[in-house]
Amino acid sequence: MSEEITVTTRPDVERRRGVWGALRTAVATPPAIIGLIVIGLFLLVSVFSPLIKPYSTSVPSCEVFEPPSGRHWLGCDDGGVDMLSLVLQGGQVSMFVGFTAAVIAIAIGAIFGVLSGYFGGWVDTVLMRITDYFMVIPQIVLMIVVAAVWGPSLNHVIMVIGFLMWTSTARVVRAQVKSLRERVYVRRAVSIGASHTRIILTHIVPQLGPLLIANTVLAITLAIFNETALAFLGLSDPTAVTWGTIMEHAFERGAISTGAWWAIVPAGLCVAALIVGCYLVGNSIEDGLNPRLRSSYLSTKSWRMRPLVGRGGDAL
Amino acid sequence: MTERHALELVNLNVWFDPRDHHGDKPAHTVKDVSLKVAAGERVGLVGESGCGKTTTILAAIGLLPASATVGGEVRIDGKNVIENGEAGMRSHRWTDIAMVFQGAMSAFNPVKTVGWQIREALEVHGIARGRIAVERTRELLDLVGLPSGSDAKYPHQLSGGMKQRAVIAMALSCEPKVLLADEPTTALDVVVQDQVLRLLVRLSMDLGLALVLVTHDLGVVAQACTRAAVMRDGEIVEEGSVDDLYRRPAHPYTRKLFESTPNLDDVRRTIESPGQTTPLLDVEDLRVTYGDLARTTRRRRWPFVTASTKVQGPVAAPTDAVANVSMAVAEGELVALVGQSGCGKTTTLQAILGMQPVRSGSIRIDGVEITGLGARAWRPLRRNVQMIYQDPYEALDGRLRVIDTVMEPLVVHRIGNDRRERRALAAESLADVGLDPDVLAGRYPHELSGGQRQRAAIAASLVLRPRLLLADEPVSMLDVSVRTGVLELLDRLRREHRMGILMITHDLSTAAAYADRIIVMREGRIVEAGEPWQIVHEPADDYTRKLLASVPSPDPQHHRAS
Amino acid sequence: MRGYLWKRSLFAVVTIFVALTVNFVLFRVLPGDAVTRVSRIPNASPALKHALEVEFGLDKSLWEQYVLYLQQLCRGNLGVSFTNRQPVLGNLLEAFGNTLPMVTVGTVIAIAVGVAVGVYAAVRRNTLGDHVSTGVAVAFYAFPTQFLGMMLLILFAGVLPSVGMSDPFAVAMSPSEQFADVVRHMTLPVLTLVLTLYAENALIVRSAMLETLGEDYILTARAKGLSRRRIIWRYALRNAALPTITQVALSLGAVVSGSILVEVIFSWPGIGRALYDAVLQRDYPMLQGGFLVITVTVVVLNYLADLLYFRLDPRVAQ
Repeated sequence: MSEEITVTTRPDVERRRGVWGALRTAVATPPAIIGLIVIGLFLLVSVFSPLIKPYSTSVPSCEVFEPPSGRHWLGCDDGGVDMLSLVLQGGQVSMFVGFTAAVIAIAIGAIFGVLSGYFGGWVDTVLMRITDYFMVIPQIVLMIVVAAVWGPSLNHVIMVIGFLMWTSTARVVRAQVKSLRERVYVRRAVSIGASHTRIILTHIVPQLGPLLIANTVLAITLAIFNETALAFLGLSDPTAVTWGTIMEHAFERGAISTGAWWAIVPAGLCVAALIVGCYLVGNSIEDGLNPRLRSSYLSTKSWRMRPLVGRGGDAL
Repeated sequence: MTERHALELVNLNVWFDPRDHHGDKPAHTVKDVSLKVAAGERVGLVGESGCGKTTTILAAIGLLPASATVGGEVRIDGKNVIENGEAGMRSHRWTDIAMVFQGAMSAFNPVKTVGWQIREALEVHGIARGRIAVERTRELLDLVGLPSGSDAKYPHQLSGGMKQRAVIAMALSCEPKVLLADEPTTALDVVVQDQVLRLLVRLSMDLGLALVLVTHDLGVVAQACTRAAVMRDGEIVEEGSVDDLYRRPAHPYTRKLFESTPNLDDVRRTIESPGQTTPLLDVEDLRVTYGDLARTTRRRRWPFVTASTKVQGPVAAPTDAVANVSMAVAEGELVALVGQSGCGKTTTLQAILGMQPVRSGSIRIDGVEITGLGARAWRPLRRNVQMIYQDPYEALDGRLRVIDTVMEPLVVHRIGNDRRERRALAAESLADVGLDPDVLAGRYPHELSGGQRQRAAIAASLVLRPRLLLADEPVSMLDVSVRTGVLELLDRLRREHRMGILMITHDLSTAAAYADRIIVMREGRIVEAGEPWQIVHEPADDYTRKLLASVPSPDPQHHRAS
Repeated sequence: MRGYLWKRSLFAVVTIFVALTVNFVLFRVLPGDAVTRVSRIPNASPALKHALEVEFGLDKSLWEQYVLYLQQLCRGNLGVSFTNRQPVLGNLLEAFGNTLPMVTVGTVIAIAVGVAVGVYAAVRRNTLGDHVSTGVAVAFYAFPTQFLGMMLLILFAGVLPSVGMSDPFAVAMSPSEQFADVVRHMTLPVLTLVLTLYAENALIVRSAMLETLGEDYILTARAKGLSRRRIIWRYALRNAALPTITQVALSLGAVVSGSILVEVIFSWPGIGRALYDAVLQRDYPMLQGGFLVITVTVVVLNYLADLLYFRLDPRVAQ
């Protein structure tokens, strides 16, 4: 820990590294590494899933709700389709949905946040009012209604999730941009006569990178979660194979009464594992960017005494 | 001859575990520090940032973080209080030794009243309860000069000076023998600082309190302390009475510190008077109302206006942030704008820069009227007037190399035909401010020291060859020994390039040492203006006199006389 | 003081208004089959259809429809359900009455557990206790609600009732027996809700505590010689409560989604279940009404959170 708690003239040692340095450090912490490995594994597996999956996902290859065995590691679902193959394929679609929806949400949120934070005034008021209303209205219910009205399809699910999830990003980005706007180097750029575009693109957006990365990763967790919820309520494409629809089919078609836990657990565990992975990465970055989390004035350990042996400058 | 001192540090050592790389050796931050403070004595611990003075007193009260290891003894009234580590320390805190932290702004719990927090100290240590506690709290607040009823206030309802006094009251609530104060007046206005320091001196004398005052400001030490110890790199390099230190500094570092501290007695006498007839900057009857201020500035202002100590009678709420302000800066002239925070000096500067709309009045730069100009019309004029800001650590975009920052204005104004030309111009500018372009051009800001960063920022402003340079407290956030360098630089630039400089500073001694003329502002109006010699030795206005009196001079005799 | 309260009250009212308008837009304006479905009740007589059309003004301009819609709302007329031909408002209120106890108990327990875990983890930062409790919280945060519910169903099948709010076959039970019956039925849904909600609260509280523990006044409190316990509760938690309230209010969306899923899994006859049934049966009036009721509830809860914040933070009163 740096030696001075707060000093007038010396900057916080952290300021040296900037936001991207903080990102690099955060990504090197154990939780983030675990998260990255998990995400990486899932990405690999889902990209290669058409090659890896042992059986077809459309043609039945075993009995209805056949329990796990040597041939079918994860058993089969109610239609006699191999569960492992389903989960592998479902991963591809679920991750695609999650990622795309998250990117849409972050893009909208970032634009709102930058415009709002940079320009202030009426632009800020209008955009933030809109954001506030959307924030309070419960997203899942809006998603249900919109999905019900538009009809079930994967594209609709992506758009619905993406267009309703941007609010918290907008708020967070706006706060950051507002504080950046007051930084001396930005004010200097304004006083030089640089155009708004130049200032935003050169001085402000690069500083937002880590924040946006953290938010994107965390948005992926929400997107996947929401996709499974919408699928469970029958609002996703029933013919699509996603982790959400796997669980929905299991529930609808009596896996519980049959006690066929293998129809539920794999998909659920995959969702959980991916969300944990994304959360670890996103949270590590967020914590890394938050200077206030660094010091704690109350901890279980305390400073230690060291007995002096001998005297003078080289006392041990 | 073993007299029991109120506080005695014996061979105090502090090591910090390295944060990220667990293989490195611990950092030895405080090296064998020994200090004696008797009851009623006030000892200053002086040094620049990073010298270990704060760590020393934190060790004395046992509040170091878990990464610290402490060696040595801290004796209060003869008893070593840290020998059992944290476990044994708690019983001594507040009752034997108390501390006032730097930045009293957040020393209080924001959701409880000030009175509640002082009563808590009394109750937790079993000194008083209930009604008696309430009485005692009021007594304490009265002792530090706060108006009655302050105990029912929340911390955010008090001004900076009042909060600092309240913190002192809370620190004294359990009648400790030792009071440690870490930069207690740094964030305060010079007038308030004076009041708080006087309070500390009085309390120490009346209550027999041993006071250790940590500060980087030699003037504070001269005013408030009887003895001082100079620290550098974790060691005490010199110790003695403040008189001895001032008149006969033995250690070269002590001498350097004193030399870098501007003294009101070093006022220059302007030899050359600028013969220019048309002033570079001509401000006439400038007026900016509160309504024109950006909302953030307004909010920062009000606490000062409404919650300040009402000793001046009824406060006539000024409707103008700046009114009837007229000034002129000629080529090659350095004019200093002096005043307390909230007096309108920054607003004036912002108006001159075109960042602040004005209600009425005229501002002419090089003959061109700039009030009421739109953003488009301003663009070509921006080359003529540049501003240097207070914070050198945020002045440069950490993601750009130094050379890129200095080149940016050229890019924006399309000066220079290609990158190489621009680079050459930027390098020239860097050399002009004393930075070697071959060495520093490719570096990133975090690799530069504070002084170097401020110079780089100046270079980035210079590269456009402005005629007028505005400087908002350009050195207040730099270490004392570095300040002179930057101020000398500004001095040289205006002579060599015939630039006019309008500099804001809260420090009258700096203004007196470098400026050709000083303008004193108060509550949006100009109170007095004139040459440094005249202002310092023959001030015409009462307020100017008050400002002068509050400036802590590093000469102890100065304070003895008052 | 007036300023803050006034602003938040106004905001609540306007948000409800926005929700109403969104409701209207979604069902009447957007392309999709819902536009004229309001009147297309299956098996309705032509006379009823016509009467509905007139009532909902489907033959008028959009603006007039909107005004009519607002007027209907003021009269408490949310339409008639397609499925059971009863007024939507009555259906929803009944369902709401069923949801309220289950969700309230679940949320309150989730908050209590979340605060306990969060404080524990924050105070023991970076120890094994912190890593374990935070890790467990992250895991539960990640599990989809339906997954937890289904797992609990499989685990406790036969031991605890898994469907509905009360035993449909029980006859002539005394009030206390009825009460016990409902409680037994509520156990699994509440347990699922707690498991799914406590985690987010724990993480929020932990974060807020960690931030608060880095504030200067904590150091002053230690310097004052206060005990650790006192600092944790009176200083840290008391101040961390403020950002916690804000964050928890933002996470009300999770409460809503959790409740809906729980009600579907356990067939709890609440408003979430009603929404689900409405989607299945394309019962648009119920869907519209359900959206409205839930949104209004959330807005009101947010407003209550604002009031609580105001009560706890003296700085806001300026």
